[in-house]
Amino acid sequence: MAEKSNNESKEQELVGLLAQFDDPETLVHACNEAREAGYTKMDAYSPFPVHGIDPAIGIKRSILPFIVLAIGLGAVVLGLGLQCYANGQDTFWPFPGYKFLISGKPIFSIPANIPVTFEIIVLSSAFATFFGMWILNKLPRFSNPLHRVSRFKRVTNDKFFLMLETADEKFSRSASESQLNEWGAVSIDEVNQDLTDTELPKWLATVGILGAILLMLPPAAIFSQWGMTNRHPRLHVVPDMDWQHKSKTQTMAANLSNELDGVRLMYDDLRSARRPVDGAIAFGSLDIDSELNYGIKSDFAYTITSGGNALTRVKDDAESDDTEKDDTEKEGDDAAAAAPAEEDNLEKYVTTLPDEFELTEEVLDRGQQRFEIYCAACHGYAGAGNGLVNQRAMALAATGAATWTSARSLHEADVKDDAKNPVGRIYDTITNGRGNMGPYKAQIPVQDRWAIVAYVKALQETGIKSDIPVVEDENASEEKKDENENKDENED
Amino acid sequence: MTTVDPQSLDNTYDDASHRTPLVLGGLDYEGVTDTACGFWEADSAPKIWWILLGLAISLLMLLGGLIQHLLFAGVGVWGNNNPAYWGWPIVNFVFWVGIGHAGTLISAILFLFRQNWRTSINRAAEAMTIFAVVCAGTFPGIHIGRVWVFYWLFPIPTEHLAMWPNFRSPLLWDVFAVSTYATVSLLFWYMGMVPDIATFRDRSKSKIGKVVYGLLSLGWTGSARNWHRYEIAYTLLAALATPLVLSVHTIVSFDFAVSQVPGWHTTIFPPYFVAGAIFSGFAMVVTLLVPARELFGLQKLITLRHLENMNKIIMATGLMVGTAYGIEFFIAWYSGVPWEAFAFWNRAFGNYWWAYWIMVSCNVMIPQLFWFKWCRTTPWFMVIVCIFVNIGMWFERFVITITSLCRDFVPSSWAYFTPTWVDLGMLIGSFGLFFTLFLLFCRFMPVIAMAEVKGIMPRDHH
Repeated sequence: MAEKSNNESKEQELVGLLAQFDDPETLVHACNEAREAGYTKMDAYSPFPVHGIDPAIGIKRSILPFIVLAIGLGAVVLGLGLQCYANGQDTFWPFPGYKFLISGKPIFSIPANIPVTFEIIVLSSAFATFFGMWILNKLPRFSNPLHRVSRFKRVTNDKFFLMLETADEKFSRSASESQLNEWGAVSIDEVNQDLTDTELPKWLATVGILGAILLMLPPAAIFSQWGMTNRHPRLHVVPDMDWQHKSKTQTMAANLSNELDGVRLMYDDLRSARRPVDGAIAFGSLDIDSELNYGIKSDFAYTITSGGNALTRVKDDAESDDTEKDDTEKEGDDAAAAAPAEEDNLEKYVTTLPDEFELTEEVLDRGQQRFEIYCAACHGYAGAGNGLVNQRAMALAATGAATWTSARSLHEADVKDDAKNPVGRIYDTITNGRGNMGPYKAQIPVQDRWAIVAYVKALQETGIKSDIPVVEDENASEEKKDENENKDENED
Repeated sequence: MTTVDPQSLDNTYDDASHRTPLVLGGLDYEGVTDTACGFWEADSAPKIWWILLGLAISLLMLLGGLIQHLLFAGVGVWGNNNPAYWGWPIVNFVFWVGIGHAGTLISAILFLFRQNWRTSINRAAEAMTIFAVVCAGTFPGIHIGRVWVFYWLFPIPTEHLAMWPNFRSPLLWDVFAVSTYATVSLLFWYMGMVPDIATFRDRSKSKIGKVVYGLLSLGWTGSARNWHRYEIAYTLLAALATPLVLSVHTIVSFDFAVSQVPGWHTTIFPPYFVAGAIFSGFAMVVTLLVPARELFGLQKLITLRHLENMNKIIMATGLMVGTAYGIEFFIAWYSGVPWEAFAFWNRAFGNYWWAYWIMVSCNVMIPQLFWFKWCRTTPWFMVIVCIFVNIGMWFERFVITITSLCRDFVPSSWAYFTPTWVDLGMLIGSFGLFFTLFLLFCRFMPVIAMAEVKGIMPRDHH
């Protein structure tokens, strides 16, 4: 006999008859019988999928595979499209892509894009399979009249069930029951739908509306600021070393204030860089040794420091400050300095090589090398004033195309004279120039300049005026000898 | 009504007259349910479970503490430095991802090959996959330095970055591959569990249990129409997961193979890595299931035949890995490229020779013991071999990563990599994470795929 289900006090409607079987073979047999008897609205229930039950009940093959195929094909477009958008272009507004320039590789290349596309295909197909299956199965379905049948708990364990639904046209309460017994049912239950009107609890409405209002508050707060300006900076959750209390070079000093309009600069003088302390001297700028650096005796020099440099200034003839003179007199001084004859005090120049300069054969060779680099162009390789530049300049001056004062021959008497042209003055000439000769202090370091001075003195000492060696030829005629001698004389 | 050998627990011998039983002890459907639910239904878990859980949780807390230290102090706490910028974190990542692949292989590939013996082990193996991928995903997640901008890894329009990820980079392919793998494995695992969670729902005695398992089982009734679509979906997911598992570890191998470093830039890496992953994964499955079957009384469902089959797969993939080692040496010599030849000579005889020989002995020599039937059918012994296999596979990733970085093209860049205590602590802690999740899974979720086991039992059987 069919047993009534648990809830007898409430209104119920019969949904179907549930028959229990103890093994899958009987179940399949019963399903076949039911289908042949004309039942269509029925279902079998088992703890595992029973082989042969699909045709027994008449289940048609599901369309799920085609859904998955469609989604999978769409994912091909999705995957390639994503990569084309993100890396293949950079013009789409408002979120342009980003074209990576890597070793000249093509901006869009399918081989490189295959791994991600493949994974997207698998992911999309898996989602389609999973959600498609549950949706087609109409699950989750938490309320099911079947669960009210206590015997039905065994369906997930070891028992098998067949339910004939009342909705089927072949269904009849007594006839169906006897058929089920015929087909081998161990027991038969009524499955009843509970029709009691179940209302939602009354407090649910109030709580729901209240909750909805509360949930609207955060987005409302956010959107109230849309299009508004605010003087406060954005909430910056992770500082990420974005504000550093340091100053970059050549900028204004950093503002250390934490208030909105506060100003508290790192340094009062607005600069980010500090000035050197008074009296500080930069490396390599210490030139208090006037003899070495200027060729001037220490009696005639004084040192000032300015802007990180120690500068030696020469005391003038009258030993008075420069500031007492007016401009015209200063100009006069400059003009006087230009004319060799009316020069400033020759006594200020040192007459011997300074102590800090050590003269060795290597230094002298260095002096020769440096002379040949910087000086020989005008003064000639033997210092005879026949350098190519000088020859050319003289030729141009002769035609009136240029004005030029001839480069001196270093062998001339007043150039060799130690009283008129002491070594300090030679050094000064190299350093600051004289006449058409420009200053070489920017190109030649101090020690090299003294080396050149030493070489010049050596040249003057030897009296060699030509860099072309004179070869004594035994068979040369007297005339040729005379010619050579004349030539030497003419090159003076 | 009963299996042929009701009392014997040894089904490792083949009898030509009938199919070897996979469910032993004369169990019927109800017996399978009772056996599989036994541990879950126990009022309180045995003491050993609590002790193991306590140990695992303490290691998990070690990992958590070290991760916090890393986030606040920076990646300098690791040994990663010039020239080995990829150190233990990447080695650990590849190690755990590889372990995860065995679960998918058992679930998907053995399903497609109609290997019915997979039904006793696939649930635990899939759970192992999920937890291994969780452990694996931790390391790339924390090694990026500015972890709070992790979302820059994904193709999401962001204002702050004003850039998109570089889809040509294998590191980004990794992001997609591992995310896809984690998601699909999770879907597959959950879908497989629904009928068994329904069993829990119907057997649960606590109110909370009924509600939770009721929600999770989605109202499953075992309807044949539902089973029909369910089976189709299962097959589809298995067919999708098969190329997925091959592609994921291939993409992980591309992290190395796509570079120019000698010892890395070789086309053997994808199949080599995949074989190695399955090798280490099966070893981990055996390591987990042998104690589990003792602890939970599952010897009749996870039988010696199941264990032996797994060991045979370990043998096969181990031989593949060993062959790959040999081929690498051959190619290094045959290519005539001096850097390639040196890279491999250096692995065996250079300053990391000790790591190389640990790897070779654990991966190539020790698994040869499985040629002997006693070795591969004795549970406690196979666990020892499998632990060595896992050690060897960790060292394989270590040797590949570190030796190639420490001896690359320019000798002035050579150095010796040393890990820090944080490196070591995180590796140990990751095992804590793994075992915590696995122990909780065993206590609260269906360890055996009961519906599938019943489905493959012979049908002359109640």
